[in-house]
Amino acid sequence: MIDLYAITDDPAPPLSEPLTAVASHGLAVVCGPAEDGEVTAEVLWRHEEVVEALMEERDLLPVRFGTRVDDETAAARALGDRHVQLAGALDRVRGAVELSVRVIGHAGGDDLRAKAAAAAAVHGPLSQEARASTQLIPREPSELLRAAYLVDRASVDSFVAHVARLQEANPRLRLLCTGPWPAYSFAES
Amino acid sequence: MRDKLLHAPPDLDLFATDRPRLDDALTRRVNADPEKLERGLAQLVLTIVELLRQLMERQALRRIDGGGLSEEEVERLGRTFMELDKRMEQLRTEFGLDEEDLNLNLGPLGNLL
Repeated sequence: MIDLYAITDDPAPPLSEPLTAVASHGLAVVCGPAEDGEVTAEVLWRHEEVVEALMEERDLLPVRFGTRVDDETAAARALGDRHVQLAGALDRVRGAVELSVRVIGHAGGDDLRAKAAAAAAVHGPLSQEARASTQLIPREPSELLRAAYLVDRASVDSFVAHVARLQEANPRLRLLCTGPWPAYSFAES
Repeated sequence: MRDKLLHAPPDLDLFATDRPRLDDALTRRVNADPEKLERGLAQLVLTIVELLRQLMERQALRRIDGGGLSEEEVERLGRTFMELDKRMEQLRTEFGLDEEDLNLNLGPLGNLL
């Protein structure tokens, strides 16, 4: 069994052991030997770190953790079956990374008006700076906004500066921005 | 490990986690803890069963109030609901869920049950 990590262009920069690339239809899927055993935060982290290291030097679609196929033939088939959608998705995220923004406020997430206000004050302007954006479902009761932005690699600094300006302009809110992440929220069409 | 914080307020602990990096990375994935996943699924299924049970009970009460049922039918309905109640309690215990766990918060609409 092999684990899948990411889908990239083919050809792409060489990989280091034990990763291998299986190519098909101008795309390549980065695979590694399947790791058995318990799924722990550590294991998830290792997967994340592999994808992030790949992201440094190539454009990619991150593959969801735990995606496993029998062998390289099956991996190539998985690419071939969806190569049109995958190539389109890879084009959409090419040259960009995902940034995550979370906002909490004193009102708490139960207040719909506070949520709408946070979306207008933060999500609206930040969306303008991003190639694409999406609002995610808040996971903590205090969260007013949880959003992901697809930002050109070259624009990350100015995006973060914009976040800092929005924080200054909205002292009642607390803004948290993390990244750069692989484009998890934008990998699917 | 590279720092993933690009902009953070001074009172970062407000974000309920001192590891936003971990939080952000992991929430993009399925909840992979099998035990928690199973409990979450059981909780959802039992909530729906509980909703149906309550709806059926209300319907039965209405029919009893309407007087359209014989003594024997009322008796049988009562026993059925008692059995259901007992069975639900057993299932709850099995999955370590309290009565309050069987509910869904529908946000502005309040709770489901």
